[in-house]
Amino acid sequence: MKTQAIHAVPPEQLQKVTFDEAMEKRIAEIFERYPTKRAAMLPVLWLCQERYGWISPGVIAAVAERLEESPAFVEGVVSFYTMFHRQPPAKYVLQLCVTLSCELCGAKTLAHHIKERLGIGFGEKTPDGTFQLLGVECLGACGGAPVIQVNEDYYENMTPEKLDQLLSELAREQ
Amino acid sequence: MPKLTIDGREVEVPQGTNLIEAARLAGVEVPYFCYHPYLTVVGQCRICMVEIEGQPRLAIACATAAADGMVVKSATSQRVKEAREAVMEFLLANHPLDCPVCDQAGECLLQDHAMSEQGGNFASGMLETRRTFPGLERRLLGPHVIQNQNRCIHCSRCIRFTQEISETWALTYKNRGNNAYIDTFDGRPFDDPFSACAADVCPVGALTVREFRFRKRAWKLSSTPSVCPGCSIGCNIWIDHHERIVYRFTPRENPEINATWLCDYGRFLSESLNQQDVVHPKRRLKEGWQKLPWAEVFRALALDVKAAKTLRVVASGYMSNEELYLARELFARRLQGELVVPVFMGEPRKMKNGRRQWLYSQSALPNLEGAKRLGIRTVDEEGLARFLYGAADLTVVLDPQAHPFLATPEAVQLVKVSPTVVAARVDAPLLEAATWVLPAASLAANEGTWVSSTGKVQRFAVAVAPPGEARPLWQILALLARALGFADLAVTTPSQVFQWLVESEQSFAGLDWNTLLGAEQTSYRERQHVG
Ligand code: SF4
Ligand code: SF4
Ligand code: FES
Ligand code: FES
Repeated sequence: MKTQAIHAVPPEQLQKVTFDEAMEKRIAEIFERYPTKRAAMLPVLWLCQERYGWISPGVIAAVAERLEESPAFVEGVVSFYTMFHRQPPAKYVLQLCVTLSCELCGAKTLAHHIKERLGIGFGEKTPDGTFQLLGVECLGACGGAPVIQVNEDYYENMTPEKLDQLLSELAREQ
Repeated sequence: MPKLTIDGREVEVPQGTNLIEAARLAGVEVPYFCYHPYLTVVGQCRICMVEIEGQPRLAIACATAAADGMVVKSATSQRVKEAREAVMEFLLANHPLDCPVCDQAGECLLQDHAMSEQGGNFASGMLETRRTFPGLERRLLGPHVIQNQNRCIHCSRCIRFTQEISETWALTYKNRGNNAYIDTFDGRPFDDPFSACAADVCPVGALTVREFRFRKRAWKLSSTPSVCPGCSIGCNIWIDHHERIVYRFTPRENPEINATWLCDYGRFLSESLNQQDVVHPKRRLKEGWQKLPWAEVFRALALDVKAAKTLRVVASGYMSNEELYLARELFARRLQGELVVPVFMGEPRKMKNGRRQWLYSQSALPNLEGAKRLGIRTVDEEGLARFLYGAADLTVVLDPQAHPFLATPEAVQLVKVSPTVVAARVDAPLLEAATWVLPAASLAANEGTWVSSTGKVQRFAVAVAPPGEARPLWQILALLARALGFADLAVTTPSQVFQWLVESEQSFAGLDWNTLLGAEQTSYRERQHVG
């Protein structure tokens, strides 16, 4: 399995956002699937996160305009969902499950290990922008606890050794 | 119409009334935080829970419609009491309880409820430290609103206000759960034209009005019913004052006009009512200004007026119907002078009534409609300039703020040509050209009626005594009339003039001065609504 790296567009390029033709086309497709523009808000935001790596205020303003909503309203929605990045994320976002099953099966050890190896705690990013660690609630994969989600992919039954291997691979990939 | 019993009291209410309003009609207070009669019901805070006979679970009164035969228990139910205590425990778990330094104290729904229903008995079981929002504790959310997020109880009234009433959709929750806070898009200034209403609807001290903050404790204020002077819409206000000083306007409920709202422009005219630059009547002599007691003013002025063969009078759309009536009677009918009321549009304003319809201002003047009803000739800027052109034996300007043109050098030049009487409250260029200056009182020290652009005759009452020797204009007109020998016009209260209006003017027929103030007994109720 090869985890796709996130390529976050830097903030200075996302201050004012205009959607290009490709984006417009996909937004139009999304609109078709929903009764109102407002109902299409989440998929359009996902599209933006996929495209820009994160949701900047500029992206929010552009989405709001496209959806004919106020930017405050869109930002309220964005900030409600923790899976929207509101700052440029690292290339690999390590989402370590910290809920009960994973906790019992060694999530803490993994967190310590990451801290030792990469020098980052929860909510922190490596200075080179390669890795970022987040603590998340149950990923719904308790059968494979402890679980780490990296970007879109799940890595189950993690041990410090498997983690080392994964991190080395990812660091090489980029 | 459903008939139901609440805490043992029987009441019949209109179809669709919710249990909070039904209880109120029955004389029972059901507490609430998130409910507001002019906002959608969201049922978020759960403090309004009541017990309904035959229903196993408690119900929220705000979202339950009264039904025929319902038997509701609020204060008389132990289960309700416990449920409300639990809600309060949650709300107070993180609340800073800084009432002594909170400007909302005295008009805070949370404090009221903690003190009245809970009897002040409250012990927190909270062992952890309180949640705080560093950086959002004394934040200027916009030009008029200060936010202290620590006090927010997440009722969403402010958000709903911007969504449903002002329609700017400017406020939102950011984040969620325990971390949710109120913010604008990207933290930009909250510059909604009705922004201070968000602070009004905030039931606690999370949003307070910058201009009023810390100027006066709420319980020291007296409130007098009045009408906003900001435009022709005529929003109903309370003038909140203490020891002759006006501290603020707050909305007075009127479903036909302003529901429980005010625009920021109108609201913040309150401070201007404290301004009184002209405090003595005076006459210009060759050697300079001479101050005179009122009695002498009227004697001397009456001579000037009598001697004038050509008399022209500029009245004002800020004058009450009673003042306009007196001016018309005295200057136009008895003295055969010419009388006009200048008209100008000013900035357009809008207001949403209780049926969520926008009303738009027809002019900047609160009583243009009244002047029209009295058949007084209205003039625009050009007409006003023409009116003042050339010499007259005497010019009377009853309000230098009647039109912006009166503040221009051209107007001063025009008026300089002939002897001029100016009744004024604040300094104006026109005073340089005047021969007589008479101190007129502000709206806060006056009483009378205005007609809104929607055609409603609305009365305003006296809030404060006029400063210095200033007098309300109706009194100045009445006393001048007496000095001129028209004793029948020398009224001692504007209500007498109003009676003449009722008798002689078709459009005032059937009205009653005594009921025109609106229902004063709603004041407590709407105080609750506006937080
Ligand atoms: S700021 Fe006030 S009105 Fe807004 S949600 Fe908080 S408590 Fe309610
Ligand atoms: S809309 Fe007009 S009358 Fe109403 S508050 Fe504003 S200025 Fe005053
Ligand atoms: S607890 Fe970690 S996946 Fe469920
Ligand atoms: S839930 Fe009824 S007033 Fe808040």
